[in-house]
Amino acid sequence: MTVVRRWQIGLLLLGLALLAVGGVVLLQEVSPKRYLGILLWFAGALIIHDGIIAPLVFLASVVMRKTAARVPAVVIAIVQGALVIGGIITLIVLPEIVKKSLGTLSSSILPQDYALHLGVFWVVLIVLAGLAVAFYLAMFARRQKLRPSADQA
Amino acid sequence: MQRLLYSLRMALQAPSRNPRTAVVVGRLLAAAFLVCFGTGLYSHFIQDPLPGMQFLTRPVWLYQLTQGLHITAGIACFPLIFAKLYAVFPELFQTPPIKGFVNLLERASIALFVAASLMEITIGLLNTFQAYRFFAFPFRQTHFSLSFVIIGSLAIHIAVKLPIITRYWSKPPLGQENDAFDADGQPKPLDEPTPDAARFPLPDIGIGVTSRVFAWIDRAPQPKSPHTSRRGFFATIGVAVAAVVGLTVGQSFRPLDFANVLAPRKAGVGPNALPVNRTASAAKVLDSAMSPNWTLTVVSGNKTRDFSRAQLKTMPQYTVDLPIACVEGWSQQASWKGPRLRDLMDSVNADPGATVRATSLEEGSIYAVTEMGAEFARDELTLVALEVDGKTLDIDHGYPARMIAPARPGVLQTKWLTKIEAI
Repeated sequence: MTVVRRWQIGLLLLGLALLAVGGVVLLQEVSPKRYLGILLWFAGALIIHDGIIAPLVFLASVVMRKTAARVPAVVIAIVQGALVIGGIITLIVLPEIVKKSLGTLSSSILPQDYALHLGVFWVVLIVLAGLAVAFYLAMFARRQKLRPSADQA
Repeated sequence: MQRLLYSLRMALQAPSRNPRTAVVVGRLLAAAFLVCFGTGLYSHFIQDPLPGMQFLTRPVWLYQLTQGLHITAGIACFPLIFAKLYAVFPELFQTPPIKGFVNLLERASIALFVAASLMEITIGLLNTFQAYRFFAFPFRQTHFSLSFVIIGSLAIHIAVKLPIITRYWSKPPLGQENDAFDADGQPKPLDEPTPDAARFPLPDIGIGVTSRVFAWIDRAPQPKSPHTSRRGFFATIGVAVAAVVGLTVGQSFRPLDFANVLAPRKAGVGPNALPVNRTASAAKVLDSAMSPNWTLTVVSGNKTRDFSRAQLKTMPQYTVDLPIACVEGWSQQASWKGPRLRDLMDSVNADPGATVRATSLEEGSIYAVTEMGAEFARDELTLVALEVDGKTLDIDHGYPARMIAPARPGVLQTKWLTKIEAI
């Protein structure tokens, strides 16, 4: 038996044991009438991932591919990166905005103006991405003048 | 159907989607998961110790550190998990979807792993600002049991992928080639897609709508610059992690407070310039805590003494600098003043080895009664605090008296004390 195979078996057994612990803890600590709520979240996570985010990313990938011919790769990378970063921050901050509007039991929970801060974040992000693109294009144009055959990479 | 799945998969080929990026991002995500798991277990057992468990009381910021790491690593998991899912995205469209019983188990375990992980970090994030109404199950128990499911699935996932992980773990020196990387340092693809490619030769412009769509997609040139694509991918992950961490970690790490614009707590905001989780109003102690007849009852065996607030103030007073560190990740340093808990316990001749049970005036909370082991109860820094930062405790911070001990979670720093007993 190879070393890799031994590790595989060990990890598999450890994983199964931990799954069993998780199952037992769940059965012991959570009352059965709450299982439906947990199942809904499980299903929801899979639906949001496979049914919403996956097709959106697929579409974005196609758009990227179709624009790749006309736009320098670095510009695409910057724009795409900025959109992803903004998207992740929005995903994290949105529940805070919703919860703050619903009210909290203590005024020191969610004390900041999250909608404003998120807006400022997007503005800063767009400005920085724009500057990065402008900087790259300026450099790129200069390089093209010096070496007309330079690759777009 | 198989053709559709295969076409989807080919359309998703991108330089940043390769086994090497999956391994690199996977390592970071696994490290973040293990940090969350370890610190989570510590937080769980310090609240619910198994018989015989003892905990460190130094450094005084130990819990502040472990729980700050727990929440911060949990927040960092969001960009990391999205990056990992992005890197392996084409695998979602495997052809055939299920290759056999073992493959079915593997895909089922991945589905469990992904769903449990997304759910765990999301409810964890929601818990940091008490958004319980978004889920109809108890947070702590669910979060705890899912953590075992996730780490178990992680172990199984690593076991299944171990050959790929070891193959792409490290690059050979530049200019050298091995079976995983070419001389340029570019990862070679796994040999897998070939059989499918033989069965569905591309380009294949059929008459169906899907064929035409995929032909249109494939007419686009392959990305010219794999380096740019991959660098862009890792730069995006790096900046995203830096952004989510940098803009929130100030709630647990004061030097970065200036950058805290998105965290659910802000240092210095609250009564006594300290954040509050459970207010006096929520705990229904507005009347009982302000009662002029309030006393602190100290019990050991059949010996009982009652202390008024004025009597507590005549005992030797100590000032200690300790953080209040919440399970929700925020923490703040403060200066507390009051008698030592051990002096109070000595006044009723309590056994120095005894566990101390503290009871709050608070109603309707499982944290109204807490217990602390002798290592905390006898510690010279553990006070029954009457003042914070030179001012009388605000009622939201536990007036007339609260517990404050080193390296303990805030939820166990019992507020609105009414009774402490040796058990």
